[in-house]
Amino acid sequence: MPSDILLGVDNLGVAASIGGRSKVVLDNISFAVSRRETFGIIGRSGSGKSVLAKALIGWLDPALSVTGGAVSFDGVDMVGADAAQLRAIRGRRIGYVGADPTTVFDPTIPIGRQIAEKLRAVRPEVGHKEALDRVVELFETVRIPDARLRAGELPSKFSGGMIQRAAIVDAMIGGTELLIADNVTQPLDVTVAAQIIRLFQMLRNEVNTAILFISSSLPMVKNIADRLVVLEEGRVVERSTPERLAAHPETAYSQALIAQIPRIWSREMAHPAVKADAATVLSVQDVKRNYRVRNQRSLFGSVSIQAVRGVSFDVKSGESLGIVGESGCGKSTLLRLLTWLDMPDAGRISFDGVDLGKMSRNDRFHLRARLQLVLQDPYGSIPAHWTVGRIISEPLRLHRSMLASERRTRVTDTMVEVGLDPGLYSKLPVGLSAGQRQRINLARALVLEPAILLLDETLSALDQTEQTRLIALFERLQSARGITYLFISHDLAMVRRVCSRVAVMYLGKIVELVSNEMLFFAPQHPYTKALLSAAPTLEESPYARDDYLVEGEPPSPLLIPAGCSFANRCPQALPVCRQQEPPVHHLPQGGIVACHLAGEDRVT
Amino acid sequence: MVRVTSFLLRRLAQSVVIVLLASLIVFCLLRTGPGNPARMIAGGMATEETVEKIATEMGLRSPMLVQYFIYLKKVVLHGDFGTSFVRPKSGASAVAGGRADDPTRAERARVIDLILDRLPLTLQLAMMAMAIALSVSIPIGLFAGLHAGRWPDAAALMLSSVLVSMPNFWLAGILVLVVSIQLHWLPAVGYRDVTYSILPAIVLAIEIIPVLVRSLALSLGAMMSQNFVRIGLIRGLHPSQVIYHHAMKGASVPLLNMLGVQLSALLGGVLVVEYIFDYPGLGALTIEAVLQRDFPLIQAIAMLTSAIFVVINILVDLLAGLIDPRLEY
Ligand code: SF4
Repeated sequence: MPSDILLGVDNLGVAASIGGRSKVVLDNISFAVSRRETFGIIGRSGSGKSVLAKALIGWLDPALSVTGGAVSFDGVDMVGADAAQLRAIRGRRIGYVGADPTTVFDPTIPIGRQIAEKLRAVRPEVGHKEALDRVVELFETVRIPDARLRAGELPSKFSGGMIQRAAIVDAMIGGTELLIADNVTQPLDVTVAAQIIRLFQMLRNEVNTAILFISSSLPMVKNIADRLVVLEEGRVVERSTPERLAAHPETAYSQALIAQIPRIWSREMAHPAVKADAATVLSVQDVKRNYRVRNQRSLFGSVSIQAVRGVSFDVKSGESLGIVGESGCGKSTLLRLLTWLDMPDAGRISFDGVDLGKMSRNDRFHLRARLQLVLQDPYGSIPAHWTVGRIISEPLRLHRSMLASERRTRVTDTMVEVGLDPGLYSKLPVGLSAGQRQRINLARALVLEPAILLLDETLSALDQTEQTRLIALFERLQSARGITYLFISHDLAMVRRVCSRVAVMYLGKIVELVSNEMLFFAPQHPYTKALLSAAPTLEESPYARDDYLVEGEPPSPLLIPAGCSFANRCPQALPVCRQQEPPVHHLPQGGIVACHLAGEDRVT
Repeated sequence: MVRVTSFLLRRLAQSVVIVLLASLIVFCLLRTGPGNPARMIAGGMATEETVEKIATEMGLRSPMLVQYFIYLKKVVLHGDFGTSFVRPKSGASAVAGGRADDPTRAERARVIDLILDRLPLTLQLAMMAMAIALSVSIPIGLFAGLHAGRWPDAAALMLSSVLVSMPNFWLAGILVLVVSIQLHWLPAVGYRDVTYSILPAIVLAIEIIPVLVRSLALSLGAMMSQNFVRIGLIRGLHPSQVIYHHAMKGASVPLLNMLGVQLSALLGGVLVVEYIFDYPGLGALTIEAVLQRDFPLIQAIAMLTSAIFVVINILVDLLAGLIDPRLEY
């Protein structure tokens, strides 16, 4: 049915001109999207998928240009279209949603007004009030709570998930025929991303819009696309359907892509059990931290943000403990407390049995060598104008007095240990890959021979292959040196692979802390189940989204409701949950969970 | 509106403190600095006793804080800023020196009258300068900002650099020579009617124009590269909506802040320019008062200017907060 084709892309080529030379970005791309179809494009970052999205709507950067081929939208040639033709299509017939919804709206104007302004720009016949009502109506459709109220708020008051919903409303409100969604779930937390996917499923079924869903993650596309293409280095390498691609990837590239997708349940994972008699190296007891911020609504008042609300756990020597949670759960604050960049308001943190709060500055300085932090960002954390050797030896200069030759040997030994070429010693870190940079970071922490390594999202910037290598390295280091790891992450699959025990944080508290096997196969807390149901994998999750995924977002840490802080989203909330803070239950199998349902024989 | 009221209350309270502090500092500096007003009034020939007697009468011998509180009490309770040390009621400046038989204080000019006499002229000058500056720099700045990185931007930068490197006294000289003396278009010195304000206003405006042009060009240029502006067309907005409703709105806050700073700087610039053009405004009055050690007059002018600064700042922040509601009040 050729008449049914809405968007046709035919042999499209795009090139970048950098300093007079031209580089191919997209080559020979062809595909067609029918009306009301959901079409997926998968490719990792750098594959050219975002350029493709922009080429379709004539929004290429000045440095990029179309070198050949055609894009036709309902018979209109989008490549040769002039400004007036484009204006008749963009925003009216084609809506576009990008990966960064926070920058879509003018920060100084309430969101509802901006979307109404857009509606009136594309449909001048709509009246002012009518436009606003329509916005509120659509806000309700995409499940933005308190739609009318939220429409009057500034973009800065919206969370990432909510503003993404608003951006989707904005892209669709003119009655668009094609919605281009470019990596829309990428910046979001897993449960929120899963909610957005669910929203797209609903749109697909209920609205007469074709959707072009572009993503780097097959698990995301799998749940919505009818057909898809795989993009690699600007070329289409495979055409398939999500099911066929997941089960029988044909090209080597797709096979590698599938292999990269983390598994949580289907792979055996052995975690060396921690010796029962291992000493406790780090002990956190009922630690709390509040921050005060000025209250805009009153003359002199201030309100307090409860970032960490009573967290306790022990870390045994030689174990790997994971702390997982979504943005705002307090894990970053906890990290600041553990590295004593910040002091708790209450509770104590002790290291090797010594209370940090009672230590002298000098002692703490020495302790710092024993507890090292490896940060998330492999680019920002490495000084660009220092040689690799200097970067790695800097902590030694600070903490140890030794001969220059000794220091050099120690540094090159460590470099070999983490898999860096010692030849890099006198080179600058320019041009090194993320994985190599992360190894430099690791070596810098390891030269001091720490007892504990704190790893803050250390692996999240790396691809799966590189992650696998680093995880193997962590294991080797652990058995060779007996290092204790504390992984702080939002990535369940990574935690599944490396941690012996996992703590789940929600709104400043640990809601569940159990062994790896328990967490993934017999989770107790409803929030843990929601996290598991949202995890982006290709496997059949034992926790189906329809049953376990929660709606909404955590309450603001400014106004934490009485009772269980998860009660407003919890599918199993009991009346008691809204009045009483759930006590901490010690599970018979070991571990703790903070939920009214646990402890009793109410198996869920 | 709780937010705005609370903001105004808080800022007004702060400004009272600021004005009081500023006036206290000026008060103390005046009385510890060189120059004895009693001697100036008594004249070079008067005896030490006469000078001392006058000084005591004028209250110059009590402890400084006591003097300050007496002064403040009059100002606050009666709006009485005192009388000039040297100026008789007629308004003309009493030439220092001369009579040891001191005219009674009541015959001397009230400070408030002196100021109210001159203030309108200076305000007129400042407003005119601002109007000229804005009407020149807004079109140029917008044009440059909308074409950031291209020739209009470069041309505006060049124009600004040329203007910025012209000293005001030199510029004033050239303007007087060309416009008044050769072309006879505008009067140059003194004051008789509004036309006398034009030349000094131009000189003042030319000092501000480069700053405003740069500020507007930069902030608008930055706005144009913001994603929410670039994506406006993709969302389906009309180009003029994008530019007028979003880009210019965002650029107006930095411009407004810059205007506040420049308006305050203008009050300083007035000092020099009024002197050059012999323009009988507040600036000229200030210079005369300083030369004559006319403490009450200097004191009142200082208080007035600090109050003007503070009010300008409050207004700027209030307007900025209305344009961009994210700003912390
Ligand atoms: S305590 Fe109640 S609301 Fe909280 S997680 Fe358990 S069941 Fe849900």
